[in-house]
Amino acid sequence: MSYITGPEYVRYACTCGLLKSLPNLYFCRHCSQLRCGFCVCPEVDSIFCGKCSENIPSAEAKVKKNKCANCLICPSCQQDLSTRIASKGVVNPDDSKSPAKKTYYLSCYFCGWNSRDVGIPDQTSPTGGWPERENVHSNRLQELLDSYKQIMLSQKQQKENDKKKKFGKFVSYTDRTGITASALRKRIGIPDIPHAMLRKPKLPESSTATTEVEELPDKFFTQEIDLLEVTTIEQRLLQPESQPVTVDKLFPAHKQLSIKKSLRCRHCERNVSKPEYNPNSIKFKIQLFAYYHIPEVRLVKVGDLKRGQPCEIIIKFTNPTQHQTTITILNLDLAEQERYVEEQQMMDISENLEVLSLQFKQPTSLPSLPGSQPSSLLSLPPRQPHLTIKSRKIKQTVNSTVEIPQSVFILPPRDDAAEYDDSNDTHNIEDDSNLVIWRKSNKVCIKLLVNIHEGETIGEEVFCGFTMDHVYTNIIAANFENKQPQKLNHKVRIFLNLGKM
Amino acid sequence: MPIYEPLTSEKVAVVLDIGSAFTKFGFTSEFAPRNIIRSQVRCKNTNTIRRLYDFQSAEDLYDLLVEFIHTIFFKYALISPKDRPVVIVESLLCPTLFRESLAKVLFLQYEVSSILVLPSHLVCLASLAVDTALVVDVGYKEAVVIPVGFGLPIVQTWQALPLGGEAIHKNIQVLFNNTSTGAQNLSEEVLEDIKVRCCFVTKKSRADQLALPRSDLIPVPDIKYSHRGSQTLTVNGKIREKAFEILYEEDNDHFCLSTMILDAMLLVDRDLRNILAENLVLTGGTCMTPGFKARLKEELLKQLSNDRYRKLNVKQFKFHSMPCKENYASWLGGALYGATEFLGMKSVTKEFYLKEKHLPDWINLKDVESARFGSDVTSARA
Repeated sequence: MSYITGPEYVRYACTCGLLKSLPNLYFCRHCSQLRCGFCVCPEVDSIFCGKCSENIPSAEAKVKKNKCANCLICPSCQQDLSTRIASKGVVNPDDSKSPAKKTYYLSCYFCGWNSRDVGIPDQTSPTGGWPERENVHSNRLQELLDSYKQIMLSQKQQKENDKKKKFGKFVSYTDRTGITASALRKRIGIPDIPHAMLRKPKLPESSTATTEVEELPDKFFTQEIDLLEVTTIEQRLLQPESQPVTVDKLFPAHKQLSIKKSLRCRHCERNVSKPEYNPNSIKFKIQLFAYYHIPEVRLVKVGDLKRGQPCEIIIKFTNPTQHQTTITILNLDLAEQERYVEEQQMMDISENLEVLSLQFKQPTSLPSLPGSQPSSLLSLPPRQPHLTIKSRKIKQTVNSTVEIPQSVFILPPRDDAAEYDDSNDTHNIEDDSNLVIWRKSNKVCIKLLVNIHEGETIGEEVFCGFTMDHVYTNIIAANFENKQPQKLNHKVRIFLNLGKM
Repeated sequence: MPIYEPLTSEKVAVVLDIGSAFTKFGFTSEFAPRNIIRSQVRCKNTNTIRRLYDFQSAEDLYDLLVEFIHTIFFKYALISPKDRPVVIVESLLCPTLFRESLAKVLFLQYEVSSILVLPSHLVCLASLAVDTALVVDVGYKEAVVIPVGFGLPIVQTWQALPLGGEAIHKNIQVLFNNTSTGAQNLSEEVLEDIKVRCCFVTKKSRADQLALPRSDLIPVPDIKYSHRGSQTLTVNGKIREKAFEILYEEDNDHFCLSTMILDAMLLVDRDLRNILAENLVLTGGTCMTPGFKARLKEELLKQLSNDRYRKLNVKQFKFHSMPCKENYASWLGGALYGATEFLGMKSVTKEFYLKEKHLPDWINLKDVESARFGSDVTSARA
């Protein structure tokens, strides 16, 4: 399993052009394409607290500011805080049997910080009522926000009014005669009330600047500072509102919630990965990892890497699927990938033209009469398709070529029981003995010759690559329509790092 | 229409202020950012931590931003970014490559519905409810001064110098090298920690004496700074006091923080000069250092007696105090703007972006001509 953490010797080219190791790739069964973390669309699936393992609905999380209501973290070292019990005598001193009076305080097992240090009184219940700190400026800011909202609302209404006036179909008679509503009111003798929309919103009171500024206290020049008393920048930023400078003002903070995320293919909008809802479970509802669908390639042995003479490498193929597959080694055709990328870009431009034409069409399709009700179907915005990530050209260059073998080989399906079965190792498969050198259940080792390009210097890393064409059995269509499983050829470009010359 | 308002406003917008050192992230109509995090991501290929602004190419920046926005949404915001509006607070001097890449990432990779881009110098005045002020933003990479007159940033008078957190960190390292305490090549984090916990901006009278080769000044007490677990580093009083002096020492062109402010005043209309001098607003994390404001005032008054500023005819300087901490002042402005109808009226929609393939910008003549945005964005306040 060293390849999970170790350097990536074998990398697969994703459809988007990035090179990733096999465990980092997904395989969309519906599009039959490789996908990676870069070209799928991530979504928030469920929200939970990492400490109390409780699922929290997104609406509640929003109200709680994405923080867990019960769990607190240490303001000093950001580890979880635990509640500790302190007994304070008995409830009723006269009665010898009365239970001990318990109080609770918070303590960090990691750095030793506790809530008594900063003067938070002990609580009588374990869960809480820990004092929260309010933003001292919130009243003023709320006042400002309300008046800004009003200003913008009146501006918006004004704009809409202007629009209405411009496109008004019926000419107001009073406009022509110069008698406006307010003039009429005056003539009749009713007090003139300005229209509700025209009323000017009240401007907020602006703050005033002062010449006096906070002078640097003299204690800075004389007093010795104990660094343990001064907070670090991380401790300050944990509480953005107050940003305390000294440790005695640190208050426990609520724990940030975590999410489980689901991934969606951008082409067909189907999930490629969806976790189970339960926060304790690490399983998935949907897991279309490439590891379960694409044959795995591992480097077994690399011969001497010398310029001018072919080098022998042995690689192992493992079939992870329940279906037999045939593998053909083809040329690594980087030019074809470049063509594909360019084609995609051309398509992208034409798609944008479609978007444009859609926008131009829309107003004409709407009824031109402003009075009539637009049909609800038309006024609904068209469902927007996912934007696809543009493919990139593969950046990796190769400095050696693989001699393409003439024959193909078969990979039998994965059989979990085969490991315990020693009798049947032959499979009755006729192999080209020049290519296949070892075979057991669903695994095959093959021998390839690699020629290092001229002009490479000693000490340089040797990269080679080939295209693996394997037969992929798509069982999705079979499940839907009771047909035979669909077989198709799927090609993946694989890059090998052979080490230094 | 009003019936549907609650439905639409339910989608609260994410407000992002991506600074060169710290990113402020939160939601509209809240008064403090949810998190202030470092603007850095772990690079998967090399397994190192990289700052967003240390990008090497456009594609590299795109990848860094994809990773960074992913952490913002899936680690902190906990919402799917798809079809959601985003408010971006950025400096007017933000590099075009950076803002274009950010727009590309948000629109194409994360499919947000619209982006509202707000100039940081203008919006930080929202929490003060003033529309004319001289805004001094001292951040990590640079200090930028842009006067705002009646709700419009006067961009042509901008002043910027590479004076900020980064310059101070370098200065601390230089000071350590001079004292030969063996503290060489301290990491940026250690330097930052020393700056935040030990250093302060001293008074002008003391600074003048410190600059002299020999003085009978009573030194500030030293601090024993424990470092890498077992080592102790002595941060002596001189370093503590002199760390921030780099902001006020005039360089070869006679520029420093105080001259920037006065130079900006010289460039504006003479009727505006006194109003600006009486409405100074300081934002940015570096402004939070103890003694910063007091020293700046002293420096400004001293510079006034200089010949080149005599014609300013300014007598006094007045400072605003923010109803928030300075390091998230611009973010707060973005949160206030984003909470109003402004978000729907002025934001760049996905359709517009797909058609135009770029974000409107004040520097782009094409946008100024089309006059759809440009001046509109800045003339926000009614």
